[in-house]
Amino acid sequence: MGILDVFKRATSPLSRRLAPLSRRFSAQKTEEDIFDDEFQRKLEILVMVSKRVFSGAMRAERRSKKTGSGVEFADHRDYTAGDDFRYLDWHAYQRFDRLLIRLYEEEEDLSIYFIVDTSSSMGFGDGEKLRQAKRLCAALAYVGLANLDRIAIVAATDEVSGRMPTTRGKARIFRIFRFLKGIRADGVTDLGDAMRTFVAQHKRRGLAVILSDLYDPAGFEAGINVLRYNRFEPFVLHIVDPREAKPDLKGDVRVYDCETGEEREVTVTAKILQRYGQAHEEYLDEVQKFCVSKQVSYFRADVNTPFDELILRVFRRGGFLR
Amino acid sequence: MTFVGLPLATLLQIGAAAGAVVVVFYILKLRRRPIAVPFSKIWERILRDKEATSLFSQLKRLLSLLLQLALLALMLAALGDPRMAVNLVESRNIVVLIDASASMKSTDIGPSRIASAKERVKQMVRGLSGSDRMLIAQMDAAVTPLSTMTSEVSDLEAAVAAVAPTDAAADFPKALRFAADTLRGLSRPEVILVSDGALGAASDAGGIVHTGDITVSYVPVGTGGQNAAITNFAVRRYPLDKSRYEVMLEITNTSDQPMEVELSLLGDGTLIDLTRVRLKEKERLPRFYPNLSGASHTLEAKLSLPEGARDTLPADDRAFALLPERRRARVQVVSAGNMFLEAALLLDEYLEVTTVAPAAYPGKGSFEVTIFDGVSPPVTQGSGGLLYLNPTGENLPFTVEKEVTDNDPNNRLGFDEVDTKSPLVRYLSLGEINVGRAHPLKGLKEDKVIGKSYRHGALLLQGRRPGNKFVALGFDLRESDLPLRIAWPVLLLNTIQDFVEEDTSYISSFRTGTVWNIPAPSSAESGTLEMPDGSKRPVPIKDGRAVFLGQHAGFYKLTTGVPGAEETSMFAANLADVTESTIGAAQDVVIDGKSAGPVGEFKIGVRREMWVYLLIAVIIITAIEWATYHLRVTV
Repeated sequence: MGILDVFKRATSPLSRRLAPLSRRFSAQKTEEDIFDDEFQRKLEILVMVSKRVFSGAMRAERRSKKTGSGVEFADHRDYTAGDDFRYLDWHAYQRFDRLLIRLYEEEEDLSIYFIVDTSSSMGFGDGEKLRQAKRLCAALAYVGLANLDRIAIVAATDEVSGRMPTTRGKARIFRIFRFLKGIRADGVTDLGDAMRTFVAQHKRRGLAVILSDLYDPAGFEAGINVLRYNRFEPFVLHIVDPREAKPDLKGDVRVYDCETGEEREVTVTAKILQRYGQAHEEYLDEVQKFCVSKQVSYFRADVNTPFDELILRVFRRGGFLR
Repeated sequence: MTFVGLPLATLLQIGAAAGAVVVVFYILKLRRRPIAVPFSKIWERILRDKEATSLFSQLKRLLSLLLQLALLALMLAALGDPRMAVNLVESRNIVVLIDASASMKSTDIGPSRIASAKERVKQMVRGLSGSDRMLIAQMDAAVTPLSTMTSEVSDLEAAVAAVAPTDAAADFPKALRFAADTLRGLSRPEVILVSDGALGAASDAGGIVHTGDITVSYVPVGTGGQNAAITNFAVRRYPLDKSRYEVMLEITNTSDQPMEVELSLLGDGTLIDLTRVRLKEKERLPRFYPNLSGASHTLEAKLSLPEGARDTLPADDRAFALLPERRRARVQVVSAGNMFLEAALLLDEYLEVTTVAPAAYPGKGSFEVTIFDGVSPPVTQGSGGLLYLNPTGENLPFTVEKEVTDNDPNNRLGFDEVDTKSPLVRYLSLGEINVGRAHPLKGLKEDKVIGKSYRHGALLLQGRRPGNKFVALGFDLRESDLPLRIAWPVLLLNTIQDFVEEDTSYISSFRTGTVWNIPAPSSAESGTLEMPDGSKRPVPIKDGRAVFLGQHAGFYKLTTGVPGAEETSMFAANLADVTESTIGAAQDVVIDGKSAGPVGEFKIGVRREMWVYLLIAVIIITAIEWATYHLRVTV
């Protein structure tokens, strides 16, 4: 430690030096309370609401995009050698003089994978982004369990740092709680690498819900694309903290990335803050545009909005549970 | 350029230390506060544009360091107190005497001579070199130092601002002596006289004022102009008809050209007389106004030019006087019967005489005068002044010696020596008085012998004992030819008027610039004097006289006694000084046989202390740095 560091430490306000300590205590207390009785009561309500939304649907008979031996027609494709003759569409052959195979939507148990970003940026500040991600994950998982879906949860940074195996049934929700409580924000985001590991570990395709702030130095597209290319159905739940768009900075500072440690010197003025806010908004829009262009379901989850309200919005948007 | 402040070696040491501190702080300033952000890529996006200007930014930061070092260099230079070599002279000690006499109120140069003088002195103060010291003193009837010997410009300017003109003549010798005493033993002593030159000779009772090696400089103020003045103004009541009075005044044309003036006389504020007078050049014209009546208290004379115009010095165009108070004196005569005494008392109708037999003394009431005719009972309170005629027996405040008779034809008994200055015997000739038999009187050392016989001693004695004045005549009237002479009633009335403070020497107005002895109750030790401008100040009273150095013309009011039982008396004061009214400005003043020289060595508007300018430069540069920092030019 150089003399300048000593000087800086000596001149820094006491409150700032004690801030990390107080944040840690605050975070611990919040982790204990995150899945309290009130939370669980809200989950029950969400399940009832989901039943109304999905009324008429049969248990374990969600339509997957996987075509196969179901009863509901999905599409045609050209016949190739080895195809089952029983699925040849003779009417089509008569009209177009082409051998076409009829495809049906395969009806099977839906596998839902929750990929929770646990990089340092998710715990930035008071860690509200990670808490919100945990709440959303738990809520959606519970709804899925209630609908007899297969649920698995993965904690990801630049690797798969934690994994809860696939499970079924409402009773397993407490296991999910325990798993989520054990997650800590630490590490560098690299969803590309993490998703490659994920797809290697999970052969059964399904819905992959990414809960992340998508602050990926390697580019947020990489992780989503890996899922797309491996025939998973990605659903992006973008966790956003509006306070990050308006940082409380002033004067000459040296900003460094909380994950990579990369530094930039900047003199923060009102004009710079305004430009930063614009850049932050542009980044969020960029993510959204990318998802829309790639037909990836996208939902922006504000940390200031209660999780149950967010879940309902997801339902209303015709989310992944339909 | 020479540094007269800190030595160069010290400056270099301070510079090295302070420069190191500046550089260290500069480096500390460059060590920016580290702040964690969740995603630095967003910051990179907005800072991309700034990359192009990083070189310029570095230059600006270097500029900031250079600016701070420049500030340090300026401050070090200020500490060194640099001076131009031509200005590096030994420090002077200067006493500035500003003439605040009445003539300085002249308006021949606008707005007035005193204002012009103050402005000239202010310019000198601003042109003082850093090592020079100056003292400002006001010169009028007294000398009033208004500052210490200092080089503080603000103190000196405040002192100049405090100079106020008076209605009195300047006591030039006293002022010069003050300046010489102040400058004794100091380096390069100098007296600067700022005046119109109407100062008179630089000598007084102590002789010619010697200034020695003190440099005396003279700053003449004024150009001269036309002026007429009231140079004398007096009023008195007629002794035997106190309802009437006469006024004497004198007007003077001090200029070299004839003037026509209007002279107004006002009694109690009412115009009594208005006369147009033509004055020749330098003419002094006395005027009498006999047998006037009407006014009961105040008189004022005014002089003006025709058509209401004013001359150059308005201060001497007005004069004030008070009529002596008209009242009856209560006189008690303790006598077995004395026709000569009673007849003389009948001459003054303003006497209220009560005659009592010696056995019936004291009479009822209180009296201002008690006359003991051949008797000397114990004096009771309320007897006032005591006049003893042919005193004998005990209870006397003096000693009566054995009887002497006029038995030597070669040396007749009578007044061989008379104190002609005494108001008791004013206008009297007592040398021819013949006395048949007398008892010489012997008083205390402080008693005054008014008339005495060489051979036998005092025959007329005046003195004061606690509570009473007394006058004693050492013979019986009937045994002299005094009652047959006009001197007797005059002596008697003079004595009574002396007791009641209403003598013929009544001063209808005081002259400004002198120490006034104002009649006051003898029991009082202090009083309050209300000035013509309404301000009040305490005055001491000694032996029945309030002592005050008056410098302003107008009516004054003296109040004595405790609240609720105050006694108030008024009096007037006038300039009445031809020298002051002669307003021609002198271009030369001679002191100790030498002419005062012109003033030099004052570079008006330029302080030769460069450190002041260096500090101003520091402040300006700091302000620029502050502004550019907050406008984000140098960050």
